Amino acid sequence: MSRMRILLDLDACTGHGRCYSLAPKVFGSDDLGHCELLLAEPPEELRESARRAVATCPEGALTIQETA
Amino acid sequence: MSSALEVNVSTGEANPYTPSVAADPIPFYSALRTHCPVATMEGMQGAGVYIISRYEDVRWALKHPEIFSSDLVAVDIGQDRPLIPLQIDPPEHAKYRRVIDPTLGPHEMAPLEDEIRLRVNEVIDQFVADGQVDAHAQFSVPLPGKVFLQMTGLPLDDLDLLLNWKDEIIRPGGGLLPPEEATPRRRAAGADLYGYFADVLKDRAENPGTDLLSRFFGTEVDGREMSNDEMLDICYLFILGGLDTVTSTLDCSLAYLAQNPEYRAALVQDPSRIPAAVEELLRFHTPVMQILRVIKEPTELHGVKMNTGDTVLLMLGAADTDPSEFGETAEEYCIDREVNRHLAFGGGPHRCLGSHLARLELRVALEEWHRRIPDYRITEGFELAYSPGIREVEKLPLEFMPLKLNSGV
Ligand code: HEM
Ligand code: SF4
Repeated sequence: MSRMRILLDLDACTGHGRCYSLAPKVFGSDDLGHCELLLAEPPEELRESARRAVATCPEGALTIQETA
Repeated sequence: MSSALEVNVSTGEANPYTPSVAADPIPFYSALRTHCPVATMEGMQGAGVYIISRYEDVRWALKHPEIFSSDLVAVDIGQDRPLIPLQIDPPEHAKYRRVIDPTLGPHEMAPLEDEIRLRVNEVIDQFVADGQVDAHAQFSVPLPGKVFLQMTGLPLDDLDLLLNWKDEIIRPGGGLLPPEEATPRRRAAGADLYGYFADVLKDRAENPGTDLLSRFFGTEVDGREMSNDEMLDICYLFILGGLDTVTSTLDCSLAYLAQNPEYRAALVQDPSRIPAAVEELLRFHTPVMQILRVIKEPTELHGVKMNTGDTVLLMLGAADTDPSEFGETAEEYCIDREVNRHLAFGGGPHRCLGSHLARLELRVALEEWHRRIPDYRITEGFELAYSPGIREVEKLPLEFMPLKLNSGV
């Protein structure tokens, strides 16, 4: 089964909160509103929302690695 | 008249501070991005005032505060000291954000939802039986003020006082006064606002509560307790940053939805679309059209050299309608936009500190409004007048079917 791994660059994250609003099962937040990865390797059913959240981060703090 | 005419393509000069740009900025933004991605402020050739408009350029500037500094004390908004954290550069800036962010962070905001819903309904109760309303004066203005007073534990009766000072500071005399008249009025209102919060903070020091302001006491910045002046500076910015911006977003949103029944109907039928609609309304209208920076290290962009001390307007609205980021629908309202990396709250280290609160207020306001007033339109023949800079309208007369006073919550 293919794998998807999410990488978070905490230096780039400034807490827009788009990721944890769009994919609350994959991303959470700390008290400052910065991103916390809840599921770095989300299961199949959460990948669609995770992809969208990653694409929506205005700071480009999130990236995806996919392996076959 | 098209706002594109406010860009002089041959000289590279432009002026965003006009009513025609504020009313319909999209042609203006497009002309800027296409013809002069680094424009000069009209009539200020040689003074070093530039306008940056493309998405990638604006984003780059936001992420490089060492070049594009926020050290803008020269911008007179009646303040005595730099506004915290707006006019502080990194690394100092992060020390403040670390202690202020949690007070308006997502974990703090979520539990406020029910209270905010009550406030929204109280405001709607005031006019829902009338069948008509000036939604600017009766909805968009009081709502963020009431929410702020509730969060800070201040008496609701002080609302008019605070709104008055804020208006005197942001746009004395409606915003059309010459500087020699505007400045003293700003400073007088600024002094009153500082005085008001000095008394409030003194009282909170003696009688601490659980409100937003009481929480500042005892918080540490850089290994020492936050000073009274620092707390005052933060309060000052909360009033200037947290009221007008929400008001203008509500104005732009309701005015737009009033004129576009199909988008409105989609929200009425399926309120779960409101959060995405809030983002698209923020992007499409970008109510804070531009923000300011000052050049700290000489730099060059699209062949234009900018020197230390020059001023730069980052045109957030132009970035937010740039087809290179938002595709062919960039200049349209798109009801099911998949990816929306808008910069309506800025970006980089100064990303709006109140964005979690603002998003909550906007969502709940649109949910309750459309639940109770699903069908409305602008009074026939009325021409909306938008103010430049922060795009609020002077008056927003709406008509709707009068309803029984029954908030149902
Ligand atoms: C829809 C409503 C709002 C919009 C569009 C908005 C927009 C912005 C923008 C564009 C900035 C960046 C300024 C810059 O980088 O120079 C900003 C900063 C800020 N906003 Fe908001 N804002 C909104 C609501 C609020 C609210 C409700 C508050 C809360 C009290 C607030 C407090 C602040 C503060 C304190 C800053 C300074 C952050 C810093 O410099 O680190 N804003 N806002
Ligand atoms: S959307 Fe990006 S910047 Fe915002 S919290 Fe998530 S990772 Fe951080």
